[in-house]
Amino acid sequence: MKKLQRVSPVVFKSTPLKTESRDNWEVVMEYNGEGDGPYLVDLSHRPRFDLQDSNLAAQKPFGILIPETPGDCVLENGILANRMNRTQVSLFNLDADDTVSMPDEPGYTEVTESTLCVALIGKNVFSICEKLTALDFMDQLRKAPFLFQGPFSHVPCQIVTLNKAGDKSGLILTCSRGYGRDMIDSILHAGEEFGLKPAGESRFAKWIKEL
Amino acid sequence: MALTITCPICGKRNGYEFKFGGEEKGPRPDEKDLTPEAWCDYVHMNKCVAGVQQEWWFHKDGCGSWFPIYRDTTTNLEKPEPGGQK
Amino acid sequence: MMNRFNHLPTLKVDTAQKIAFIYKGKKYYGVKGDTVATALYANGIRIFARSLKYHRPRGLYSLDGECSNTCMEVDGIPNVRCENTLLKDGMVIKEQNVKGSAENDWMSFLDKLDWMMPAGFYYNVMHKPAKIWPIAMKQIRKAAGLGKISPDFEMPGKFDEIFLNTDVCVIGGGPAGMMAALGAAQKGLRVILMESRPWLGGFFEYRSSQYKEGETLHNRAGQLAKEVESFENIRVFTHTAAVGTYNNNLVTGFQIGKKDDVFNERYIEIRAKSVVVAAGCIERPLIFDNNERPGVMQINCALRMAKTYGLLPGKKAVFSIGHDLGLEAALELHDLGLAISCIADIREDGQDPVLLKKIQDKNILFLKGWVATKAHGRKLVKKVSLASVDGQVSKTFDCDLVVASAGMTPVTGHITVAQGTLKYDNHTGFFLPDQMPDKMHAAGRLLGLNDPLSIEASGMLAGLKAAFDCENCSIGEIGEAKKALENLPGPVRGTKLVTAPVKGRKSFICFDEDATIKNIKQAIEKGFDVPELIKRFTATGLGPGQGGIPGHNLPLYVAKYQALPDISIRPTNVRPPLVPTLISTYAGVNHKMFKITPMDEMQRKDGGIFRNIGVWQRARYFSNDLSCKKEIENVRSNVGMLDGSTLGKFRIYGPDALKALQRVFVSDMSRVKQGRIKYSAMCNDDGCMIDDGVVIKQGENDYYFTTSSGRAGQTAEWIRYHTRYDGWNFALVNLTDALGVINISGPNARKVLEKVVDIDISNEAFGYSEYKEFKISDTIPLRAMRLGFVGELSYELHVPSSYMKAVWLMLKEAGKEFNIQNFGVEAQNVLRMEKCHIILGQESEQRTNLLDVGLGFLWDRKKADAKTIGAVALHQAEKDQTRLKLVGFKMENNSRAPRDGALIVDDKVRGYIATARDSFSLNEAVGMALVEAPLSKIGTRLTIFEDECGDDRIYGKVVEMPFYDPEGKRMKM
Repeated sequence: MKKLQRVSPVVFKSTPLKTESRDNWEVVMEYNGEGDGPYLVDLSHRPRFDLQDSNLAAQKPFGILIPETPGDCVLENGILANRMNRTQVSLFNLDADDTVSMPDEPGYTEVTESTLCVALIGKNVFSICEKLTALDFMDQLRKAPFLFQGPFSHVPCQIVTLNKAGDKSGLILTCSRGYGRDMIDSILHAGEEFGLKPAGESRFAKWIKEL
Repeated sequence: MALTITCPICGKRNGYEFKFGGEEKGPRPDEKDLTPEAWCDYVHMNKCVAGVQQEWWFHKDGCGSWFPIYRDTTTNLEKPEPGGQK
Repeated sequence: MMNRFNHLPTLKVDTAQKIAFIYKGKKYYGVKGDTVATALYANGIRIFARSLKYHRPRGLYSLDGECSNTCMEVDGIPNVRCENTLLKDGMVIKEQNVKGSAENDWMSFLDKLDWMMPAGFYYNVMHKPAKIWPIAMKQIRKAAGLGKISPDFEMPGKFDEIFLNTDVCVIGGGPAGMMAALGAAQKGLRVILMESRPWLGGFFEYRSSQYKEGETLHNRAGQLAKEVESFENIRVFTHTAAVGTYNNNLVTGFQIGKKDDVFNERYIEIRAKSVVVAAGCIERPLIFDNNERPGVMQINCALRMAKTYGLLPGKKAVFSIGHDLGLEAALELHDLGLAISCIADIREDGQDPVLLKKIQDKNILFLKGWVATKAHGRKLVKKVSLASVDGQVSKTFDCDLVVASAGMTPVTGHITVAQGTLKYDNHTGFFLPDQMPDKMHAAGRLLGLNDPLSIEASGMLAGLKAAFDCENCSIGEIGEAKKALENLPGPVRGTKLVTAPVKGRKSFICFDEDATIKNIKQAIEKGFDVPELIKRFTATGLGPGQGGIPGHNLPLYVAKYQALPDISIRPTNVRPPLVPTLISTYAGVNHKMFKITPMDEMQRKDGGIFRNIGVWQRARYFSNDLSCKKEIENVRSNVGMLDGSTLGKFRIYGPDALKALQRVFVSDMSRVKQGRIKYSAMCNDDGCMIDDGVVIKQGENDYYFTTSSGRAGQTAEWIRYHTRYDGWNFALVNLTDALGVINISGPNARKVLEKVVDIDISNEAFGYSEYKEFKISDTIPLRAMRLGFVGELSYELHVPSSYMKAVWLMLKEAGKEFNIQNFGVEAQNVLRMEKCHIILGQESEQRTNLLDVGLGFLWDRKKADAKTIGAVALHQAEKDQTRLKLVGFKMENNSRAPRDGALIVDDKVRGYIATARDSFSLNEAVGMALVEAPLSKIGTRLTIFEDECGDDRIYGKVVEMPFYDPEGKRMKM
C-alpha cells in the first residue's frame, strides 16, 4: 500500500530545507531564503475544532475557560480558544509538540479540513494588513489576543491577533480552504514591499514561545 | 459606502460586510385563518419609511448573525432606537 | 530654456539636476522638482492645448489643475493634469484636441463661429430631423473633446490601495491643517493628515511675508511641518488629494507615488471618528474678454511659478486683482525682476496700508476701482485694456503677462459632499459652511480667515473639537481655544465683482466647457433660473476641473443677472471625485479571489479546461471538443470521474435541528432515515425553488446535508434568517470546503471502487439511494452515497479535502485497467439533461416554482403551511393555469439543438429553451424548455426563435421525460 499523503491548501514556491512527517502531513519546518521577516507560515495541518453549545459556560474544552465576550481569545497550553458568538468558540491546537484529539462529544466538529490556516508574523504585519482589509487592528481598545471575524482580501476570515507590538507582531488567519491559492497570492503580493517570505513551522514555534 | 453598521457581536463595521434582510415585520403569521392576501402582504408589502426604520441585516463577511438595527433611510446612517437607550 | 532663480529659500526645484523629456517628438530639459507644466513653460511653451468647442489657445492659468487648459497626453495616457504631475525622466508629452498643433490649429476658425453654437445648441439644433443626429454627433465628437483613447488601451503603471482607521483625519496640510493635526495628536490620538501638493505648508509655504518679527511665513511652514513629522501618531500623506468626504466620516483619497514607492497611484480609504477640513481657498477667476488667453494667469500661479519653481512667468505684467495677495505677489515679482506696468485693484479701499506704501515706494502705477476688460493678442497676450469698474474710463497697456483674479473662494466640496450646507456670506462674498456634518469641523481660510495667526488658531480649535469627538478633550480647553481665535482678526471683506464691464461674448466663465457669460445669459433667457439647471444646460462646471473655475462665479453671476437678493444665492452641488482621478486608481489592486477544489492541480495536469463558475474555478471540459463526446460516451459505456467538490455540505445538529430542516425543506424531514438518502428541495416564500440537495441522518438530532454549488454561500444565512424569531437551539457547521467530492459514474464504477474499499459494495449490500460511512486503509474516513444524477451506476464519495489527492490517485490507479477518464461539468450537464434531472438556474429562473419543474412530489402537504417556507404560495400556485411548465422536447427532422435561452414563440413569446444539446446517447437533439401550460401537452409542436435568425424558425416536439433510460434501471444496477 502506498503511503497516504495529506495535502495542505497552502503551497509556497520556496524550496523546503527541512520537513517533518506528522499524521500523514508533510510539514515544512524550514524554507530556503526565509529572510528576516515578516514571515508567512502555513499552519493548515494544525488541528482545529468548532464547538457550539447553547450553554458554553458549562464547557471547558481541554480544560480551558472559554472567554465570555465574543471577540476575546485565550491562549493556554498551546490551545487558542476564540469566542465567536453567544454559542460558538473556535479552538486551534497550535503546539506541535502536544497534538490533541477532538473530544467525543456532539458539540464538537473537526474543521481542520474546512479552512486554511496561516500565521503572519514579524515586523510590518499590520502594514500588510491595511492593504487587504479595513479592519482596525490598531484600535487601542483591542488588547491581544483578540478575534476579528471579517473580510480580508474580500474573503470572510477569522483573524486572531496574538501580538501588536512592533517586530514581535503576529496574527493567525483562517478562511475557507478553497481560497488557499488566491489568499496566499494576495498576502504575498501585498507583503512583497515589506520583504514578506514563506517560512517553516519552526519559525512560528519560536515566535509563539517568545510571546 | 459611508454606511457603517453595528453588529451586536463584532461591533461597528463597514456596510460592505453586511447583507440587507428587509424591514422588521415580526414573525411568520400563524396559518390558522391566514388569507392569501394577508400572507402576500406579510411577504411582499413594505412600509418604505422616509426616515428611521427598523430593519434586518446579516453579517455576511463576519460572524454570520442576523440582527435588527435602526437606520435613517434619508441619510443612510444607523440610528439609535427611537426613544431607546442604545 | 528660461533662466531659473536658484537662490530663493522657497524653491522646490533643484536647478542643478536636469531631466530630459520629449515634447512633440523633440527633446527638452526640465529640472528636478518640475511638474510637466512648469517644465514646458520653462522651455517657452505657452500654448498647451486647444479648447473643447472653439479650439481657442489655452495656457497655464492655475498651478493646481483647476481646469483642463493643461491636460495633455503623457506617456500615452490622455488627459493627464500636467500641473499636478511631476516630471520624470524620458516622459513623452503630446498635445490634445488639436488639428495640426496647439500653436497652429486649423480648427481655430470655430472660435469665429460661436454664434452658431449658443448654449444648449447640442440639444436645440441637432435633433431635427432625427436622421441628422448620428451624423452630427460623429462630426461634433471629432471636432470637440479632450484626449483620445483607443478601445484596446491598457493602463500602464502600478496601482495599490490601503484601508485606514484613525481617530482624526485632517484634509489639507497648510497651517490650519497642521495645527489641527498637532492639536489632536497632542491628545494622544491617531491622526491622518492629507495634503494634495507634494509637501506640507499650504498658504504659508511659498510666501516671504512676515509671520512675526524675524520669521517669514515660509519659515513658519517649515517649522510646523517639522513638528508634525515629529509626532509618531500623525501619519502624513503628501501628494494625496482627498477626492471624497462622505457622511459618517469616510474619506477617500488618491496618493501619487514617489520614486521609491511600489505604486504609481494608490487609493486610500479612511474611516475616521472625526474629520477636520482645512482645504483652504483657490482663486475666483476674473471674468473679462479673452480672460483665458495664454499669458493670463492667477496670482498664485504667477507667484508660485517664481517662488516654488524659480521661473519668472513673464517680462512685463499688468495686475488686475481684488485681494491683498495680489499686491504681495506684485511686489515680490517686481523685486525678482518682473516689470509691472500697472496694478488695477477692483477694491476702492480696504487694502493693507503697508503693502500700499511699498507699491508707492516702488513707483508702480496703482489704480483703485479698476479692472481688466480685454486681453489682446491673437494667440498670446500682447496688451490688455483696463477700465474703471463702472466702465467709464479705460486705458491699454502693452504686456506679456496679465495676473488676474477677482478674489478668493473657499474649497468647500468636502463639506457639501458629506451633506453639510453652505450659506452666502455678505461680508466675505464667500459661501461659508452653515450646517457642518456630524463630527466634521472646518478650519483656516475655508472660513474666510486671512490673518496667519487666525488661520493657525482656527486650526488648533478644530483639532481640539475633533479630539472632543473622540472623547479626549474637555469643553474648557475648547472654550480657551475659541477665545484665542476670537481675539485675533476675523474674516476679511471680499470683493463681489463678477464680471468686468463687458458684453461677455468672449468672457469665459468655464474654460473646460468653453462656456461664456453670453451662454449663461442665453440659458437664463430660455427660462433656466437656477444655477443647478444652468450648469447642466450650458455644461458650465461639468469638465475635468470639477467646477474649480466656475463654481463660485456661476451662482454669483446668476444672482446678479436676475437681480436676486444675496440670501437666495445657492451654489451648485459638487460631487465626488472632487478632483479628476484615474479609474485604475479606484480599482486599486485586482485581487482575483476564486476558490479551487482539492482536485484542481490533478485536473489541470489531466488537461482540464477551467471556467469561473460562481466563486469556484471548475474543470468544464477535458478536451478541445466542447461537445464532450468522448467524456459522455465514456460515462455511458465505461466509467468516469467528476470533481463535485463544489457542492455545499453542512452539518446541522442540536435539539431543534429537525425543526429548522422542516422549516426550510419542502419535504417531511422527520422521515429521513439513517443509512438512506433523502432528496429534497428548498423554496422561497413565493414557492420558487432556490435549492435542492440530499439530507442524511447521522445520529440523534444530527444531520448532514448538501446544497447546490451556487447556493452554499447563502445556506447558513437562509436557515438563520427563517428561524430568527424562534429561538431554536441548533448549530450549523459549513463543511463545504472540508470535504472534496468524487463522483465515479458508469457501468464499471463498482468494479473500480471495489478495488479501493474494504467493504462490500455489491448492489445488495449498498443499494441505490443508500448512504455509508467507512474508512479507506483504516485511515481516510469516507461518506459514500449511491446517487444517479447522470443516470448511470454512480457513487458520490465525500473525502476529507487533504486526502482528496490520495483517493483520486487510488481510483485512477484502480481504474487504469478500465481506462477510467475524467469528465467535466459540461459532460455532466449533458448526461443529466438526457435524464431530465434539473439544475437550478438552468431549468429554473427566479419565478420558477417547485411545481413548474415537476418536483411537486417532494412537497409534503400535511406540514404546517406557514411554517414551511414556500408552502402557502405553492397551495395558491397549484390552481394557477398560467404558469410555465418544464417539458422535454426533441427536434424535428433530426436538426441541431437550439441554443440555451432561445425563445419559444407563436405570435408572441410562449417560453424558452432551458438546456438543449445534440445527444450522443440518443443520436438526436433533445432538451428541456419552460413553456406556457397549454404548450406542455405531449406532442405539441414548438416553434423556436434564436437570436439573429431573421425569419427562419426551427421546430421541436414535446415528448415524455426522461429521454434516456426512462425506467431508471441503469443507475440502480
